[in-house]
Amino acid sequence: MRILVVEDEKKVASFLKKGLEEEYYAVDCAYDGEEALYMVEASDYDLVILDIMLPKIDGLEVLKGVREKGLSLPVLMLTAKDSVEDVVKGLDAGGDDYLTKPFAFAELLARVRALIRRKEREPAGELRVGDLVLDPVSHTVSREGQEIDLTAKEYALLEYLMRHADRVVTRTMISEHVWDYHFDPMTNVIDVYVNHLRKKIDLNSSQGLIHTIRGVGYMLKG
Amino acid sequence: MILYKTIKFRMTLWYVVILGIILSSFSFFLYFTLADSLYKGVDNKIKTMAEIAVSSARSPLGAGPSMADLDRIMTERFGIKPLGRFIQILDESGRVGGMSTNLRNVKVPLSVQTLQAASKGRTTFETVQVMGKYPLRLVTMPITDNGRMAGIVQVGSPLEEVEEALHQLLFILLIAVPAALLLASAGGLFLANKALRPVDEITQIARRIGSGDLSQRIRIKRVNDELGRLAATFNEMIAKLDESFRRIKRFTADASHELKTPLTILRGEVEVGLKKKRTLQEYQRILNSNLEETNRMSRIVDGLLTLSRADMGELTMEREEVDLSSLAREVWDDLQILARERRVQLSFMDDGFTTVEGDPLFLRQLILNITENGLKYTPAGGEVELRVKGDHDQGVVRIFVSDTGVGIAPKDQKRVFDRFFRADKARSRETGGTGLGLSISQWIARAHDGQITVKSTVGKGSTFTVTLPLKD
Repeated sequence: MRILVVEDEKKVASFLKKGLEEEYYAVDCAYDGEEALYMVEASDYDLVILDIMLPKIDGLEVLKGVREKGLSLPVLMLTAKDSVEDVVKGLDAGGDDYLTKPFAFAELLARVRALIRRKEREPAGELRVGDLVLDPVSHTVSREGQEIDLTAKEYALLEYLMRHADRVVTRTMISEHVWDYHFDPMTNVIDVYVNHLRKKIDLNSSQGLIHTIRGVGYMLKG
Repeated sequence: MILYKTIKFRMTLWYVVILGIILSSFSFFLYFTLADSLYKGVDNKIKTMAEIAVSSARSPLGAGPSMADLDRIMTERFGIKPLGRFIQILDESGRVGGMSTNLRNVKVPLSVQTLQAASKGRTTFETVQVMGKYPLRLVTMPITDNGRMAGIVQVGSPLEEVEEALHQLLFILLIAVPAALLLASAGGLFLANKALRPVDEITQIARRIGSGDLSQRIRIKRVNDELGRLAATFNEMIAKLDESFRRIKRFTADASHELKTPLTILRGEVEVGLKKKRTLQEYQRILNSNLEETNRMSRIVDGLLTLSRADMGELTMEREEVDLSSLAREVWDDLQILARERRVQLSFMDDGFTTVEGDPLFLRQLILNITENGLKYTPAGGEVELRVKGDHDQGVVRIFVSDTGVGIAPKDQKRVFDRFFRADKARSRETGGTGLGLSISQWIARAHDGQITVKSTVGKGSTFTVTLPLKD
């Protein structure tokens, strides 16, 4: 899951990126409104965390711009303004949720999970494909009750595949949602990670879950 | 609202009571004066007639003129028949000698007192009830012959007309006075209502303002009367309140935003940092960053405290002789480190007599604030000049701080002294500004009967000028 953090305060952007990355999200940062609008269009983000007071273009204007472009991705607004009018204005401009500064990081994470869940129209709780179970809160993965130890990227990749189970997932989709903009699409990093993941998940089981669709990408199927 | 407690009711009541007293007194006076004059008129007429009758009775014709004679005398003397009035002549013992024709069927009484009075030669007026519903006014006059009463003349006139007229007047007054009072009270209430309606409106609006809505204004219809002026004054007051509330609201919002940003960083960095075990360098980085934010919060809180104490008039200024030149030189000296760090050249110049009366600590802070500001907004390789110049002719000392920095847009120049105003938010935070320095500088300048102004061209630089009165 890939998130864009729009925040002009460098230190805030920095700890948000760090904290979210540790939760296995791919995170990019934009430091003003103009940059934010450009980046939202350039990549397919799963969520935007948007500060309201921004240089160049105000956060509310960014939000309107995003909605005018027909992008329906969830937007979590983050601001020091906490009056009712500000909240109403933000939500009416197309925001999906609102969090006032200073906030508890755990709450931010919960809201991010909720917004992504809503976007994917999933019920709360664990993700299941066959006997494979992933808990997005504790970040644990198990198969047939046996816990599987995964690296951050492997976990992020598996979460993405599980959210799109029974559908073909292209390498471009994976690169856009699991990696941030530093990712180099010319490498075979994705194939390498998929192989690692397949070894950990399918090795001790008779039934393979990760299928390769030749020339297109992969599919997770129970 | 209870009616009898309202001003309009009391005003109307007073008005009606006073009018009532005036009208009733006037009516009483009118009634009794008229009655008196009407009765007197009747008395005069019957007296004249009686006198004529007496004189004719004493004529050599001898006693007991016939009634036909009386009628004739009347007609001769008055030219007309005395309609309604009658005359009767009695002998000394009270027996009727003759009477006018219109008295044929009526017996006019003659009381003992009247007879006695007549016998003593006195004339008596009395009102008697003889016929019909109206009384009769009667004069009894003795006919004296050589000091001895020879007979009595009685002349009577019915009071019908007088009583009728008085009754009518009374009737009119009894109807007219209450009607006038009723009309007056209705009119008075209407006028009072109309005049006092703005007061009700003011009350309602004040009530709405009490519930926090300061956008309300009283609609003023007549500007120049007392209530119009009251309403206008009230509106002005609300506008001022509105403005100052707005300022306070904006200031509070700004202050909370300024404090929330470092708080967000502190909390966020610590929370993320505590999520798992980190390296020593990572912990050090977090602690350093937290220290930085804590320092910034302290500076903001200090600035806010200074300003709020200044607003409340709690800060007292020392009044001593201060040489601005040497003060500025100290500041210049202290800021050399910062200037070198930012690779900006900081120069100092002074000229003339520069002693002012004031508080050296605050004045130092003023010079430090604007000079530091100049350094922060000037890119590396630029220059900042601090100049102190005494102007003996105008009796002022001027401190100039000119930089070759980014400059301030014309629309922002007025607002740079506003609390938490930042022409460039991002740059200001990166340089560690609190957004309060220039507000505090402005307050210090004003507290010394001076002022601070700014001239700036975007891209070329700004000059802040502080003008303070010269100590003579």
